[in-house]
Amino acid sequence: MKVSLTSISILALSASIATAETTISYMSWSPDQLELEMPVIAEFEAANPGVTVEVQAMPPSDYWPKLSALAAAGDLPDVFMMSSGFVDSWGLAGNLADLAPLAEGTDLGAYFEGSLTPGMVNGTMVAFPQNWVAPVLYYNKDMFDAAGLDYPDADMTWDEFRAAAKALTTEDVFGYWVYGRYAHVDTWVYRNGGRYLTDDKSGIELNAAAVNTLQFLSDLIAVDNVAPQPQEMEGIRQQDVFPLGMAAMWVDGSWNIDNVRNVADPSMNWGIAQVPMGPDATADTAAAYAWADMLSVSETSENKDLAWDFIQTLVGGERSAADFPGGKVPAYRAIAESDEWLERGSQPANKELILEIGAQTVYSGFSENWSTWRGYGAEGQAGLNGELDEVFNGRKSLDDAIAAFTAYGNEVLAR
Amino acid sequence: MIFRHYQKKHLWPLAFLLPTIIGLLVFRLIPIFWSFALSFMDWQIFDTATFAGLDNYIYIFQSVTTLQILRVTFLFMLMYVPGAVLLALALAVILNSGLRGAAFFRGAFFLPYITSTVAVVLVWRWIFSTRFGLLNNALDYIGIEQNPAWLADPAYALPAVAIVSIWKDAGFYMLLLLAGLQTINNEYYEAARVDGATRWRRFIDITVPLLSRSLFFVLIIAMIRSTQTFEITYSLTEGGPNGATTTLAFAIYQRAFVDFDMGLAAALSYVLCVILGFLTLVQFWLRRRWVHE
Repeated sequence: MKVSLTSISILALSASIATAETTISYMSWSPDQLELEMPVIAEFEAANPGVTVEVQAMPPSDYWPKLSALAAAGDLPDVFMMSSGFVDSWGLAGNLADLAPLAEGTDLGAYFEGSLTPGMVNGTMVAFPQNWVAPVLYYNKDMFDAAGLDYPDADMTWDEFRAAAKALTTEDVFGYWVYGRYAHVDTWVYRNGGRYLTDDKSGIELNAAAVNTLQFLSDLIAVDNVAPQPQEMEGIRQQDVFPLGMAAMWVDGSWNIDNVRNVADPSMNWGIAQVPMGPDATADTAAAYAWADMLSVSETSENKDLAWDFIQTLVGGERSAADFPGGKVPAYRAIAESDEWLERGSQPANKELILEIGAQTVYSGFSENWSTWRGYGAEGQAGLNGELDEVFNGRKSLDDAIAAFTAYGNEVLAR
Repeated sequence: MIFRHYQKKHLWPLAFLLPTIIGLLVFRLIPIFWSFALSFMDWQIFDTATFAGLDNYIYIFQSVTTLQILRVTFLFMLMYVPGAVLLALALAVILNSGLRGAAFFRGAFFLPYITSTVAVVLVWRWIFSTRFGLLNNALDYIGIEQNPAWLADPAYALPAVAIVSIWKDAGFYMLLLLAGLQTINNEYYEAARVDGATRWRRFIDITVPLLSRSLFFVLIIAMIRSTQTFEITYSLTEGGPNGATTTLAFAIYQRAFVDFDMGLAAALSYVLCVILGFLTLVQFWLRRRWVHE
């Protein structure tokens, strides 16, 4: 009888220990990335006995509707990925926990300063960067050599860029390939001191530098004939035009380094450079364009401290450079600055250029409802994208397009 | 005794109907009423819902995009409904004429309807490609060198979506019309033939009137389907270029599942509901003039 009572006590104790176990839920929009994270997640569980991490990942098209439904049900995961483009909307709706109290004691200087900026909403840190990306100018070294041109560098002016594009354009190759999405256009705009938004982000009001930039890009197609109309390339993935050798230069996000490596002929020599600074830019207005993939803690999480620890595991020094392939820059400086991440033996030979961009003043231009007015995801054909397509395809004047986009954007921002 | 009789007469049937009733309530009636209530709320799904009165409806009628969306919706309907119904009618009449291998062609024409939309669209995207597309190459071949950008030019994108939609759905309407054709007594045709009626007169004076009920049904569902088209638009043009293929149904999707603006999406749904209701009423009114009862 005594033995039985002891057994019952042990069983009861075990049961109480079992119920004392803590579960952290984590949701990601990248199944591939989650795969890379599994080893550090296992390490996190091992370092925190009694803590289990429940993970799930799905593609972005499923991720946002599901995350939104969970938010509506008050059942957000403890930790979830947050896009720079959506952080304003989610933060202002009060779904994201203030990370500043949790981050006390964390050395924020170990992370790229520019990558922390997109996670701030009204001065509150509601998302923390895991990795970041920045648009760069891809150029074909072989074509530059054949034309006897110097490679683009940080001192290149827009006139020099235009002249190079003209010199590189032949019957078979375009000097430049312009595509009117945020990564391809906005970096030119910000490098020229241009802005789409008012300072308080409450309205659309393109400044003169932004208008001049859009005119410059439009002229490359319509006046200088150094770039094709986007509609001519319909049927080819836009990110394949440059690696297939159909254009000598192209601006897109650093994440496309991987794609260029995979698609381009191995014999093709290519490099990356900063997008040239515009003629209207001043020291105060010129900005680099970069944004981060971030992580947030749910405001309703009952384990915020643990959730923060988990975030630190995912973003901190325990990660390997191999977890951030191509042009995805780890937010943690030491990993990004390691030889392993810089991949000295691979093209492009100067990946540290992306780090230089991140060290500059960064302007991301995100706002509430950014995806709607700018045109992103399933609204990729709308907003500014739709209007710029019309301009670049020669069907609408820039003035008309800006007027239409401003009216639409202001309507969206006023919602 | 009375209870037992009542139980047998009413409760048992009710018990068997219960799963359907519950399904109808949970998945149809409650969402219908809830979405109507939602159309009067300001609710970004990750935010708190607040009562907004008629704000969503006022926004819709003041929005710079509403006219364009309605224009696209009606234009698509004007392309799709006649295109799909006439093609289906032609196919049904041909297959009903005693053609050899009719069973094979019936299956072949129906195949697009049951084929995965994504797979279908992948092929059509290639066909419509500006530079490498089959269609533009064919146009080149016959001497038309001014190649349209089928999916990137607003003037051609909606017709492109309509072509794919008609191609995909015509087989389904064809089957419905074929079933209707097969109920027409052959003696009418024989009598008309004896009277010297031409093939065209037989079609106009016998086939069309006697098929009019099936045609009416097909017209109604084609009209409703035209306003519901989504998958093809989503995967072929994403509503672009510049909103040229954004129909009301696609706009509802964007508001609900991209912007997560549920109140506005619900209000748009009721605008669509009213338009559809009106058009269906018109159809029923017109029915008295041409449908052979």
